[in-house]
Amino acid sequence: MAERRVIGPTAWLVGGAGLFIGSAAAWLVSQGNPGNMGLCIACFLRDITGFFVGGSTNQAAVAYIRPEIIGIILGALGAAIATKEFKPRGGSSTLLRFLLGFIFMSSALVFLGCTVRVWVRLGGGDLTALWGIVGIIAGVVAGIFVLKSGYNLGRAKGLPAWTGWIVPAIAIVLLAFALLTQFSGKPDFATLTPANGKAVVPGEVVVTTDGTVIKPADATLVDGAVVAADGTVLADADKVAATKPMPGGKRAPLFISLLAGLAIGVVAQRSRFCSIGGIRDAILIRRFDLLFGVVGLVIGATVVNMLFGQYNLGFEGQPVAHNDILGNMAAMFIAALSALMLGGCPLRQMIMGSEGDADGASAVVGMVVGAGFTHWAGIASSPAGLTDRAWPALAVFAVILAVIAFAKRVRIA
Amino acid sequence: MKEVDARGLSCPMPLMLTKKALEDGPAEVLVHADSGTSKQNVVGFLSDQGYTVSVEQDGEEYRIKGVRA
Repeated sequence: MAERRVIGPTAWLVGGAGLFIGSAAAWLVSQGNPGNMGLCIACFLRDITGFFVGGSTNQAAVAYIRPEIIGIILGALGAAIATKEFKPRGGSSTLLRFLLGFIFMSSALVFLGCTVRVWVRLGGGDLTALWGIVGIIAGVVAGIFVLKSGYNLGRAKGLPAWTGWIVPAIAIVLLAFALLTQFSGKPDFATLTPANGKAVVPGEVVVTTDGTVIKPADATLVDGAVVAADGTVLADADKVAATKPMPGGKRAPLFISLLAGLAIGVVAQRSRFCSIGGIRDAILIRRFDLLFGVVGLVIGATVVNMLFGQYNLGFEGQPVAHNDILGNMAAMFIAALSALMLGGCPLRQMIMGSEGDADGASAVVGMVVGAGFTHWAGIASSPAGLTDRAWPALAVFAVILAVIAFAKRVRIA
Repeated sequence: MKEVDARGLSCPMPLMLTKKALEDGPAEVLVHADSGTSKQNVVGFLSDQGYTVSVEQDGEEYRIKGVRA
């Protein structure tokens, strides 16, 4: 009998994909994306939600159509068509997948990043990501227990071909809005975080990093302080200097983001890169190929961050992160468990949605809706830490996941 | 020959079922799959387990046959 391997040839494919994705993510930061957020599926979907409904959901700081998302969808679509893997299908507990996507997003926004960004953060030297990774491992172990108890969401079936074009059509509509906003201004209903905008007094005093006062309209910058027309100091120079730019206002140029997204979409579709599947497969079936993906991602991000002088090792002062140890662990525990119950991480769900999988698309729609809800309800964290509502929300999510896990023990054989 | 129906199942069910089918070391195993992801995963897993793998495509379905080397 031939020798058994625990590391097969696909390990290098997935590892190379991770290396590329991590490098691209770090490079996108050098091009203008938020720190350690060159690529984050949860954050970027959330920003898109912010663009459309941010005025009602308290998302002024995180409102922008991230072209990376459009690129990923279209890149994966192209790769799937070219390899005859574009197969419209669905019907595997579609509504539950919406709910799992919703819960995933909400808990990711308590952590401040999805199961992809946690590795991107680690690759930038952000050691608070380690608490998230502990949470992911615990969530995967819990998920494996759930899987072994017989949980599954049932079989998907083939769907009419046209249904597979719904997700690409949405991507094209998003692209139209992004181009419209770029070249002739945002539509009235939309919310757009000003480029490099700093909310010195949220909602009232907004300046940009180059010193333009955006709000109030009649205020000016005098020696670094924001001064109203009547001479009242609205924010002193120290406060202006200490305020960090809003994440939604930090962005790489549109076409750079779009092209990077396209490349990431192709690479992720071909390699089946998954940000949680590696840990799952290593524990569940002792297969380590997918694990090379996240290892490659961390190496790629680390190297490129160091090359661009963006690497900052430590627990304190990390961009768009907080150091609430238990909060980080619990949030990523819920996120990883819901992703495991979906069958893959948010990037995988988006890739599957682009291949025509209505169930993957449903999870992504759940994430988009969940993002709006999480900000509207004040559950999303900020760099200051968790809000009072985060723990009750995580507890409710844990109960819902337990109920789904218990209810969906279905015989499939 | 052991047979596994992994059609329409999310990760990691195709691999879990295939792994289960290999428990008593069958000389041959046939896995039915219908997505590129499960095909790639099952092919990789079977060859890692020492099986010689061949894939036949029939419409929407992949028939992945493993013969113990």
